[in-house]
Amino acid sequence: MSETALVETAAVLIPTVPLAAFAVILLGALLPKERGFGGTTSTVAAIASVAASLVLSALVFFETWTRELDFVAVQAVWVDAIGDLPDLTVGILVDPLSALMALIVSVVAFLVLVFSKYYMNDEGETGLPRYYAALALFSGSMLAFVFSSNLLMAFIFFELVGLCSYLLIGFWYDRPSAASAAKKAFLVTRFGDYFFLVGVAAVFAGFGTFAFHGDDSLFVAAQSALEADETVLGVSAQTAVTVVALLILGGVIGKSAQFPLHTWLPDAMEGPTPVSALIHAATMVAAGVYLVARTFELYALSPTALLVVAFVGGFTALFAATMALVMDDIKQVLAYSTISQYGYMMLALGAGGYTAAVFHLMNHAFFKALLFLGAGSVIIALHHKQDMWEMGGLRRRMPVTYWTFLAGSLALAGIAPFSGYWSKDEALLAAFRNAANEPLLYIPFALGMVAVVVTGFYTFRMVALTFHGEPRTDAARDASEGGISVYVPLGVLGVLAVVAGFVNAAPLGIHALADFLGASAFYEAAAAGAGYVDGFEVSYALSVAALVLAVAGSAAGFKLYVGADEPLKTRGGATTRVLEKKYYLDHFQVWLAEDVTYRFSKLLNMFDLDIVDGVVNGTSRVSLGSGDAIRRMQTGVVAHYAAIIILGTVALVFIVGLVGGWF
Amino acid sequence: MVPTSYYVFLSAFIFAIGLYGVLTRENAVVILMCVELMLNAGNLNLIAFAAHHGEAAGIAGQTFVLFVLAIAAAEVAVGLGVLVLVYRRYGTVNIRKPSYMRW
Repeated sequence: MSETALVETAAVLIPTVPLAAFAVILLGALLPKERGFGGTTSTVAAIASVAASLVLSALVFFETWTRELDFVAVQAVWVDAIGDLPDLTVGILVDPLSALMALIVSVVAFLVLVFSKYYMNDEGETGLPRYYAALALFSGSMLAFVFSSNLLMAFIFFELVGLCSYLLIGFWYDRPSAASAAKKAFLVTRFGDYFFLVGVAAVFAGFGTFAFHGDDSLFVAAQSALEADETVLGVSAQTAVTVVALLILGGVIGKSAQFPLHTWLPDAMEGPTPVSALIHAATMVAAGVYLVARTFELYALSPTALLVVAFVGGFTALFAATMALVMDDIKQVLAYSTISQYGYMMLALGAGGYTAAVFHLMNHAFFKALLFLGAGSVIIALHHKQDMWEMGGLRRRMPVTYWTFLAGSLALAGIAPFSGYWSKDEALLAAFRNAANEPLLYIPFALGMVAVVVTGFYTFRMVALTFHGEPRTDAARDASEGGISVYVPLGVLGVLAVVAGFVNAAPLGIHALADFLGASAFYEAAAAGAGYVDGFEVSYALSVAALVLAVAGSAAGFKLYVGADEPLKTRGGATTRVLEKKYYLDHFQVWLAEDVTYRFSKLLNMFDLDIVDGVVNGTSRVSLGSGDAIRRMQTGVVAHYAAIIILGTVALVFIVGLVGGWF
Repeated sequence: MVPTSYYVFLSAFIFAIGLYGVLTRENAVVILMCVELMLNAGNLNLIAFAAHHGEAAGIAGQTFVLFVLAIAAAEVAVGLGVLVLVYRRYGTVNIRKPSYMRW
């Protein structure tokens, strides 16, 4: 293994360095004030650690690419084997998927940290060490999650990134809205993670292994259980695989903000904008999709689970996009757009489009981080105004932001040749091709196609309102852009948003990413397990149709809103109201919590207090009461005792006589 | 010879007098005296029946009486000892006074 020693060391260091930076910043904060770390030291520590991860990730990616590595680099026993169960291990899994994802995460994390220096450090902000410590912890945990070699380790780091999300959404914890959004994000994702945890336990109980890789992986175990038609956990192997896959999907739906657990993500926009870019758009939310891609071989064994994934994705893609149509807050538009785009990735995975999902994940990470950073630049320029109706005409005042934001928007809207077009097209293609075998897939496919129009519309509504027309406020008239730490992240991401799509532009005959990921193995798995087609033949008609829809939607959105000076939606009717109220889902959840669950709990509490406790308290009350009554016989007057003894004797004699037949 | 029933009735009468005294009097000395009455009523009963059954039944009844007398003497000694202490403490032998041993 000496030839891979370099990659091994690098792969271990990638998550370790940011985690070490986290520890250093944390310890620095404990030092006395005058010797402790200020904001600058923390900033440097966090940026340097993620830069190191970026360099190492690039190295690992390059090595994986050129030498086609696919191995578990480091494996350490964490808990010794109990009985006939295997050891619990922690390991670093280096394969194309993890190498690519690590590169995406560290690129975005590095650029976002650089942008953070501009966004956070100029405002007399006092919590900077806390901010950078949490971001370093997040980067380390996310990278460790990416490299996890087994499901249990993945679960642990899945939870850790959730914790970082909580800490950073609530960064401005003195705002009640931020504190409440942090709690909501934590609780909603935790609800999904509960299913994930049960799924993790079920995998171990049913298949006896957590491993992702090798001959004793859980996929091999599941596959052989299926072939032998064994009984797993008391049900048939097919049912067990489906149930386990759906349980894991619970965690995915929570983390990747899919319907119906998407409600936390728009609220999470209360966090600082760089955090939204990194955690709530590009990387942490991707953890859910990444997990499905990682366990794709398990999903491929269950047609039902795949279909559920596709339906959740297709529905979410359209559902979230419609809500983005009416939002006035620029970050809210982007939040709903994020939910919608992750819907596309789920749709792709459910339709067997492994490459399409990973491809879209990558493109989305770049262009959505770009859009969020662009929005952050605008928000800073307008002194923390986020309402798009207070913007307008920023194109001339902020040219760099405008042009990069435009590139990101074209990618998001799915207009060729920008990156989003190629991956979205491929996701739709997967659904379209497999629908021939599985007609039910036409439904999520149709939802995805409609969402293309909606996506174009809300994207260019946002662009028109923010950057075009005349400035609508004084702040917008006096806006100005920041320095190098704005231009560099925006520029790099802007270039990526333009060119990233060409790594797998299938209609042009480029399949570099699919080859790199070894996608054909996954297509075969889905073909064998779920009867899906083995590989996707390009449909030029579909590519053109998707492009036409995207352009039509974008043009309509731009035309309607450029130069608009009052919200068009005031003319909208009931539909607008429903959209603005987010389909009343938040109301529904509050109703579920306050009116249903809380009342039911109160009822149960009443049962506990009045009936269970009532019996206990009643026993003691009866004892106390009767004792109190009876002890009054002890009068302390000797004559009374004597009288009672005598009466007792008389009664006894009388009874004995009666029984003895004296009378 | 006086019929045995006479003794029995006398015994019952004396017992009743003693019982009445125990229940109604407040002076502890008088109560002790009444207890003596009740004990001796019992003794009378024992003697009467011993005589009634004659020598054939042995002298068990008379032996009982001697035991009762001895124990009664001991009981009175204890009782009077208690009374002395009660008197020292309360300055009276009224049995209603030391009523603190109650609920």
